[in-house]
Amino acid sequence: MNAQYALLAPEITLAVVGLVIFSVGLLIPKGSRQGMVPLTVLGILVTMAVAGAQFFSNVNGSFLDGMYLADNYASFFKLLFLAAALLVVLSSTEYVQKLPAHRGEFYGLILFAALGMMVMAGSGDLITLYVGLELMTISFYVLVAYLSEDGKSGEAGLKYLILGAVSSAVLLYGVSFLYGLTGSTVITEIAAKLGSGMSPATILALLLVLAGFSFKISLIPFHMWAPDIYEGAPVPITAYLAVASKAAGFAALVRVMLVGLKAQALDGNVAVALAVLIGLTMIAGNLMAIPQKNFKRMMAYSSISQAGYIAVGLLAGTPDGVKGVLFYSMIYVFANMGAFTVATVVSTAQGSDEIKDFAGLARRSPLAAVVMTVSLLSMAGIPPLAGFVGKFYLFKALLDQGWVPLVFIAFVMSMVSVYYYLLVTRTMYMEEGADLPKIGVSGATKFTLLVTMLVTLFLGIYPSPLAKMATIAAASLFR
Amino acid sequence: MIRMEASFQWAWLIPALPLLSFLIIGFITKKWPKLSSTISIAAILTSFVLAVWVDFGVFASGVGAELVEKPYQHVVNWLTFSGVPWGLSAAPLNIEFGTLIDPLSAMMLFVVTLVASLVQIYSVGYMHGDKGYSRYFAYQSLFAMSMLGLVLSTNLLQLFIFWELVGLCSYLLIGFWFFKPSAREAAKKAFMTTRVGDFGLLLGILFLLNKFGTLNFVQLFHMMTPEVKAMVAVGGVSYLTLTAFLVFIGPIGKSGQFPLHVWLPDAMEGPTPVSALIHAATMVVAGVYLIARIYFLFQGASPAALEFVASLGGFTAIFAASIAIAQNDIKRILAYSTLSQLGYMVMALGVGSLTAGMFHLMTHAFFKALMFLGAGSVIHALHEKQDIWEMGGLWKKMRITGTTFAIGVLAIAGVPPLAGFFSKDEILSAALHNGHPVLFGIGLFTAMLTAFYMTRLFVIAFMGPEKAENHPHESPWVMTLPLVILAFFSIVGGWAGIPEHGFAYFVRPWGSEFEPEAMNWLVAGPSIIVGLAGIILSYIVYYGKASDPVEAAFPRVYKVLKNKYYVDEFYLWIIKHIVDGIGKVLYWFDIYIVDGIVDGLAWIARSLGSLFRRAQTGQLQVYAIIFFVALIVLFLAVTYGEGQLHALNPLALGGGK
Amino acid sequence: MNFSLTVGLPHYLLVGAMLFCFGLYGVFSKKNAIAVLMSLELMLNAVNINLIAFNRFLWNNPVEGTKHLLLNGHVSAIFVIVVAAAEVAVGLALVISIYRSRLSANVDELDWLKW
Repeated sequence: MNAQYALLAPEITLAVVGLVIFSVGLLIPKGSRQGMVPLTVLGILVTMAVAGAQFFSNVNGSFLDGMYLADNYASFFKLLFLAAALLVVLSSTEYVQKLPAHRGEFYGLILFAALGMMVMAGSGDLITLYVGLELMTISFYVLVAYLSEDGKSGEAGLKYLILGAVSSAVLLYGVSFLYGLTGSTVITEIAAKLGSGMSPATILALLLVLAGFSFKISLIPFHMWAPDIYEGAPVPITAYLAVASKAAGFAALVRVMLVGLKAQALDGNVAVALAVLIGLTMIAGNLMAIPQKNFKRMMAYSSISQAGYIAVGLLAGTPDGVKGVLFYSMIYVFANMGAFTVATVVSTAQGSDEIKDFAGLARRSPLAAVVMTVSLLSMAGIPPLAGFVGKFYLFKALLDQGWVPLVFIAFVMSMVSVYYYLLVTRTMYMEEGADLPKIGVSGATKFTLLVTMLVTLFLGIYPSPLAKMATIAAASLFR
Repeated sequence: MIRMEASFQWAWLIPALPLLSFLIIGFITKKWPKLSSTISIAAILTSFVLAVWVDFGVFASGVGAELVEKPYQHVVNWLTFSGVPWGLSAAPLNIEFGTLIDPLSAMMLFVVTLVASLVQIYSVGYMHGDKGYSRYFAYQSLFAMSMLGLVLSTNLLQLFIFWELVGLCSYLLIGFWFFKPSAREAAKKAFMTTRVGDFGLLLGILFLLNKFGTLNFVQLFHMMTPEVKAMVAVGGVSYLTLTAFLVFIGPIGKSGQFPLHVWLPDAMEGPTPVSALIHAATMVVAGVYLIARIYFLFQGASPAALEFVASLGGFTAIFAASIAIAQNDIKRILAYSTLSQLGYMVMALGVGSLTAGMFHLMTHAFFKALMFLGAGSVIHALHEKQDIWEMGGLWKKMRITGTTFAIGVLAIAGVPPLAGFFSKDEILSAALHNGHPVLFGIGLFTAMLTAFYMTRLFVIAFMGPEKAENHPHESPWVMTLPLVILAFFSIVGGWAGIPEHGFAYFVRPWGSEFEPEAMNWLVAGPSIIVGLAGIILSYIVYYGKASDPVEAAFPRVYKVLKNKYYVDEFYLWIIKHIVDGIGKVLYWFDIYIVDGIVDGLAWIARSLGSLFRRAQTGQLQVYAIIFFVALIVLFLAVTYGEGQLHALNPLALGGGK
Repeated sequence: MNFSLTVGLPHYLLVGAMLFCFGLYGVFSKKNAIAVLMSLELMLNAVNINLIAFNRFLWNNPVEGTKHLLLNGHVSAIFVIVVAAAEVAVGLALVISIYRSRLSANVDELDWLKW
């Protein structure tokens, strides 16, 4: 057994950075913690460089006999998680200034959550995957409950913990059956042992695992936690949950389903059941977003429906479908971070995040309003923004597999989503908001806003570079 | 291999420059209004020069006729899909972005850049001192960019993207004075109504994509084989006919055809130059242009498709013209006149003459832009008065505006040798030639109505008794110069059709034979006569009157016309009864089809959403139970639901491999 | 009468399943947050029973090609125990934090966030 530790370079780097941030946070006295943000950003950038080097030099290796994989697929997701973490850190600097204390832990936890996600994306073994998943989730439990003064935040944290633990117990129960059926927890070996066999026990195991992951990516009806937790959590953490945690769930789910259980998951009844779940998610997610008054809650339902769109690529099950998943997840990071950064700005200035608090934002902070509009329209899939291209890839992949009515539902529901996204835009542009304060954005926040908007615009107009990366990453999954 | 003019490969700059100007104004020069307008005008004027250069290459160097057979395309790949070829296409699906140049797009480039340039120059005077001056020019640039991109599109998806952008820009410009509630409402109405049409268009595009595997116009054109034309979709309706109908819904919304015309008159709430732009060169002609661009689709479809197009166009023409007679707001009269003329164009396309439709589009762009800008000049001089009965005596005080407006009126009335005469004549003779005597009659009658109400407008506003409280004065030169230029084109624009290798030689459907056609005096004669009759009649009825004599003579008819046949009220009534009556589900579908689509759908979606969210009790144990019950149901369904799930398959999901 | 009791894999799995269901019932019905956390532990321990029972029987009848993974189940169980401990530690901290602000740790009173 030879262990090429070089393959783990991104994970090791990030773990070291995280530990350093933790200790620095403890050692430096409370008043002078100014250096935390640059340090964190630097750490993330170094890790990104390492992960990027792995991706672009086409490193495709496995560690400990396939228990851990460093392939292009994993590297793509690592870049995604790190990009999300970076944007969260940058967008939350001013927000965190207002927190009572413990800033060091805030950044450290963000990094460890990212580490957990990276482990999820790279794991070729179900138990490794579980450890990564829990590293991510436990970090999130703490982050969600971070506003110790705010009862809602604590409530959200406990709710997330209990429901999250139930879902991981269900997932693990499924894993234990898979282990019993095949004698292995390595994904490729499970596939080899199961073949195309389809016994009730296999189905039970498959569905338990699927339910566990569906909780993480918030497919309806396993989504119940999402709106409550999104509303209660601090705004940057909501953003992080919506983009990175969801993407990590997809990274693991796609690998488990399409590498380990492909013969079972995309066959007959299971595929139809999955299609029903996806259709339900798209319909109900979008409909429930409409009557929401709270921005974060609306975005929770929006992100539920977005999960439905992304899952379409999983159902397609082809390299094209996976490419769609990868592409869409990446642009979703930027669109969603743009919207949430604006929400963070508003929330910092006004201490609340109801949709009506966005009134007159176009006048009070034109940049923020523009970024919000671009981000929301991208999520709605309006050309020429990136979201349109992403949806096109996803729906086309599904159409190739013959799921015409599901594509139709997806299509109609994205039209519906325009409605509630435009409600926010209308509040920002058409309402006065005369008594609300002027909002200045500066420094890191402004940078985040500009980056997210430009990336969304650029990838909409010229998606080829990212599409190529996604194609390479998707191909490495099916080798 | 066709010869290629050097200018063609630079055509992409024509939309790119206004886009650049939009970005510069939006991000940098917003705080300096003068600079912003200068940048915007410089960009559009450069585009205009480029467009003239391109046109020179198309029309003057002799490649024009070749371009009708083989349009010039310059493309870059945008979205590449691996995998299996789609539909009838031999290659995997590829979506590209590019520029397509043939006489049709070249002609449009000229019209759009010319009108947009003049409108922007005019706006320097009209918008002087407005708080949103820079914003206005940024939108104008974006608007010009969208329309020019639409004209140059090589495929339907690209066209659709710009189509939506055009819609977005008109939304922004109509609602430009967003502090006025009426402007907000009008902007919303325009956006929502046209979205109804866009939905049909999008469906049509998907139908095409599904069958042909490509959206490129030239490739689609070459796929129109007899076998394809014979393909049947459902119930004996051919696939192409169904697609053509769906696509046509887009222009119904965009080009204000009945019954989706309601947004256009309300769009008056924007600044007047915007109306000029929307009515003459951008928004509304986009629909007509789309029909012309995919004319081969309509030719391939069953005759019923074109028949329908022609009838709807004819109906809209006479319907809107009759409404215009009873309007008193100067901009509303012009708006209904636009609807009527659009109906004319659509009718021309429907009776089988692409040439006539596009010819009228061009001449109409000149004289309608002229009259809107003239109306703007009047409104400007009278400090926002828009009722023609409150005007009067302007002729003496505003010589340039008055003269140019008169030219516009004569042009639209079809008096030779002005532009409108030639294009209207083309349409009428096409209708008669291709066997549509009824439409010919409607066209002729509409021509008389047009002459009548335009003269009415002119006689009352310019020649009526002077009002003491008005102190009109001529507008500054930045506003009158565009009027003079447009008046010039309104006179000579129609002469493009006179030479044998004139307009008709270049602008004709792809792959069609050119048939020279002499002036048909049998058609032109009556057309001139009814035009003059309308003018004289109107002059006799209205000259020197202080109130409307027609209203006194036919109060009932007048009231119906004044209220636009109560279409808006009709839509409103339906909406009201939907919200009130729970049992009126059938009515609800009426709204769904007509105007209340958005309100109704939103209401349903909202209630469903509210219903679903009741499940969100906040009790985490309930969440856990739902989680687990869902899991069990899923397991039972998958394990024991063999038959049931498969039964669900074709019904709800149709699918899988 | 020949009465003999052989305890086989199904019995272990049944115990596991029962334990899982007890845990689930506790999560559904207990009001006190601490009790809910304990029920969660039951669910995770059901998984551990499964893993260890499977491993014990796979040891005797190894599936071909998985010889080097013979202790996989045991090791997995240890991982699960460690992770569960971490989870509960955070959970207890949260319960205390909530108790401080609301003077109650009942999960059915956690309904500030809804709809």
